[in-house]
Amino acid sequence: MRHNVILGLAPLLLPYCALFCAGLTLTLAQSMGLFLPLGPGEATLEYYQALTRDQGLGLSLRLSLFVAFFSAAGSVLGGTVLALALWRMPPGLRRVGVVSKIGLILPHVAVAFLVLLMLSQTGLVSSALFQLGLISTPEEFPNILHTGSGLGMILAFLLKGVPFALLLIGAVLFGFDIRLIQTARMLGAGPLRTFWSVTLPRLLPAMHSAFIILFLYAFGSFDIPFVLGESHPGMLSIRVFDIFFHRDLSQRPQAMAILTVMFVFAAVFAMLYNRFAAYMDAWRRKL
Amino acid sequence: MRVTFFLSLLFLALTAGCSDAPQEESVLQQDYASLEKAARGTEVRWHMWGGSAQINQWVDTYVAGEMKRLYDINVVRVPMDAPVFVNKLLTEKAANKNTGTMDLLWINGENFKNSMQAGVLFGPFTDRLPNFAAWYDPQKAAHDFGYPVDGFEAPYGRAQFVFEFDTARTATPPADMAELAEWIKANPGRFTYPQPPDFTGSAFLRQIFYATTGGHEQYMDGINPELYAKNAPQTFAWLSDIKPYLWQEGRTYPKDAAALDTLFARGEIDMGMSYHPAHAQMKILEKTYPDTVRTFVLAEGAIFNTHFTAIPFNAPNKAGAMVLANFLMSPEAQLSKFRPENWGDLHALEVQKLDVAQREAFDAVDLGEATLDAGTLSAVAVPEIPSEYLELLERDWDKFILGH
Repeated sequence: MRHNVILGLAPLLLPYCALFCAGLTLTLAQSMGLFLPLGPGEATLEYYQALTRDQGLGLSLRLSLFVAFFSAAGSVLGGTVLALALWRMPPGLRRVGVVSKIGLILPHVAVAFLVLLMLSQTGLVSSALFQLGLISTPEEFPNILHTGSGLGMILAFLLKGVPFALLLIGAVLFGFDIRLIQTARMLGAGPLRTFWSVTLPRLLPAMHSAFIILFLYAFGSFDIPFVLGESHPGMLSIRVFDIFFHRDLSQRPQAMAILTVMFVFAAVFAMLYNRFAAYMDAWRRKL
Repeated sequence: MRVTFFLSLLFLALTAGCSDAPQEESVLQQDYASLEKAARGTEVRWHMWGGSAQINQWVDTYVAGEMKRLYDINVVRVPMDAPVFVNKLLTEKAANKNTGTMDLLWINGENFKNSMQAGVLFGPFTDRLPNFAAWYDPQKAAHDFGYPVDGFEAPYGRAQFVFEFDTARTATPPADMAELAEWIKANPGRFTYPQPPDFTGSAFLRQIFYATTGGHEQYMDGINPELYAKNAPQTFAWLSDIKPYLWQEGRTYPKDAAALDTLFARGEIDMGMSYHPAHAQMKILEKTYPDTVRTFVLAEGAIFNTHFTAIPFNAPNKAGAMVLANFLMSPEAQLSKFRPENWGDLHALEVQKLDVAQREAFDAVDLGEATLDAGTLSAVAVPEIPSEYLELLERDWDKFILGH
C-alpha cells in the first residue's frame, strides 16, 4: 500500500530529491570542507566557528530578521485591514479589489526597481515635488532608501506582501458564513466583541500562514535586497552572494555555512511558529 | 524501505552525469593550418560578459560575420558573468563532465587565478597561434594580476582606469591625490566609488593603495605580508579621512559600476570612474551622459590590465576556439575593436610590430573628445597588483571602512 503511494508520487519526488536534496547535501558537505574544488577535503567545523567570530554577520542577521519581521507583520496587518474593508463593501464595489492583483503579478525585482525609481533622492517623487516648488533642492527630499534600517526593502516587500495577504485572508473572509455574525449580534455582542470572538479566530490560520510564508521569503530573498539593500550591514543573502561569486575560492565553505545556518533557522522558525500559533489558539479558546 | 529508497535516489542524483568518457587531446599536437581545417563548418560558443549592448553588437556583427566569411565558423555569443561560468566549470570538473558546452571564455584576474588553481583550463595553447607570435610581446602578457599566464590565456584587449567629470559642473578636475582629497572635502556628498569587491570599486581601492604607499614597484614580486601590513594602514587612513564627505556620508556605496554611472548621470554625484577609458564617450554617444563629460587621470598613476580569452578543459570545439582566439588577436580585429563606434577597447598588440599602413590606421582612430589620448594614458599606466594583495585589500576594506 505504502509502496504504491511512493510510486504514485515518484514523478514529483524524483525531481524534488534530485534538485533539492542533492543541493542541500552538497551545501552541507561543502560547508564542512568536503567536495570542494580546492582545499584538503577533510571534514572540519572551522567554518562554522569562523561564523561565530564574525561580528558583521551578527549585524547582517539582525537586519535580515528585522526586515523579514516588519515586512511580514506589516503585510499581514495591511492585508487583513484591506480584506475586512473590501468585505464590508457592497458586492458591486468589491471588484475594486482587482487592483490589488497588480502587486501580485509584478515580479519582486520589478517592485524593487519601482521603489528605487520613485523614492530615491533624484527619483520621480522627489523630481515632481521639486518641479512643483514644494522642495527647493532634491536633497531636501527625505532620504528614505538610505537610512541603514532597510526601510526601502520593507516598503518593497510590503508592496508585494499586502496583496498576497489580502488574497489569502480575503479567500477565507469571502467564504465566511454571515449568519455566524448575525447570531453573535442577536445575542448582544458589540462590533468589537464580534470581531474578536467570531471573525478573527476564523481568519487566524490564514494570517499565520501568510506571516510565515512572507517572513521566510523576505528572510532569504535576494532580488529586493540586491536592488535596494545598503552596503552596511548587508542582508545575509547578499553576503552569501558576495562570498560565493566575488571572493577567493578558498572562502566558499563560509558561504555554504551561512546558507546551512539560514536553512536550519528557517526550518526551526517554521516549526516553533506553528507550535506558538497552536498554543495561542488553545489559550484563546480557554478565555 | 523508505530510507533506502531515498538514499538511492540521492545517490543517483549526485552521480548523474558522471559517465562521459575522457576524450583524446590531439589539438595541441596539430599545426595551425590543420586546426583551421578541422574547425571549418563548426560552431564556437563564446561565453562572455554581456552587460554592454555595444560590445555584444560588435561580437554579433563584426566577429561573427568575419569568422563565417574567413573560416566558415559560426560564433555563438553566450552572455554570462565570468564568476558564473567559472563556477559552472568547477561543477563540471567535480562531476567529471568531459564534454562541456563552452568553447571560449572572456576572462582575467581572480577568475583566471581561481580557474587555474582548480585546473579547469585547457592549454598551454597561445604558442600555437600565429597572431600571438607575430604581433604580441609575450613579456607583457606573461602575468594576469600577477598570476603567471603560462600560455593558458590569449591577450585580446587592454583597459585602463580613468575618472569621469562633467565640465559643466566641475571646471578643473583634480590633478593628483592631494587635490582629489581636497576636492572631495570641498564638495561633500558629491563623490563615491562602487563597493569592493565590485571590479571597478576594487580597482579604485588599488589605485589608492599604490598612490598612498609610494607606487606599484614594491608589490610586483608577489605577496609580501609584512610589506602589506606596514603599508595598508596609510591607505585605509586616507579612505577613512574622506569617508564622511562621500555620498550618503559613506554609510553606503553603489553596488557596482552601473549603479555609480546612474548616480553620475542623474547628477547625485559629480565624479564617476571606469576601468574603460572610452566608457564616458560611449555613454555620451548613448545620450546617457551630457556632451560636456570628460575623463582625467591622477598624476600618481592609472592602473591598466589586459583581458584575455581562455579555453575550458572540456570545450567541445577546442580547434574552433583557438581559431577564434587567434582571429581576435589579428590586427584587423584589434583595429575594429579599437574604433569607438564599435567598442573603443584598447588594443593589446604591439603597434610598432605592424607595417606602416596598419600603424597609420591605428593612429587615425579618433577616440572621441571625452577619451584621453593614448600618450596621456600610457604616461601614467601602472600594472595591476598580484591578486593576493587584492584579496587582502578587499577583506580589510570590509573591516575598516564598512565596519563588518
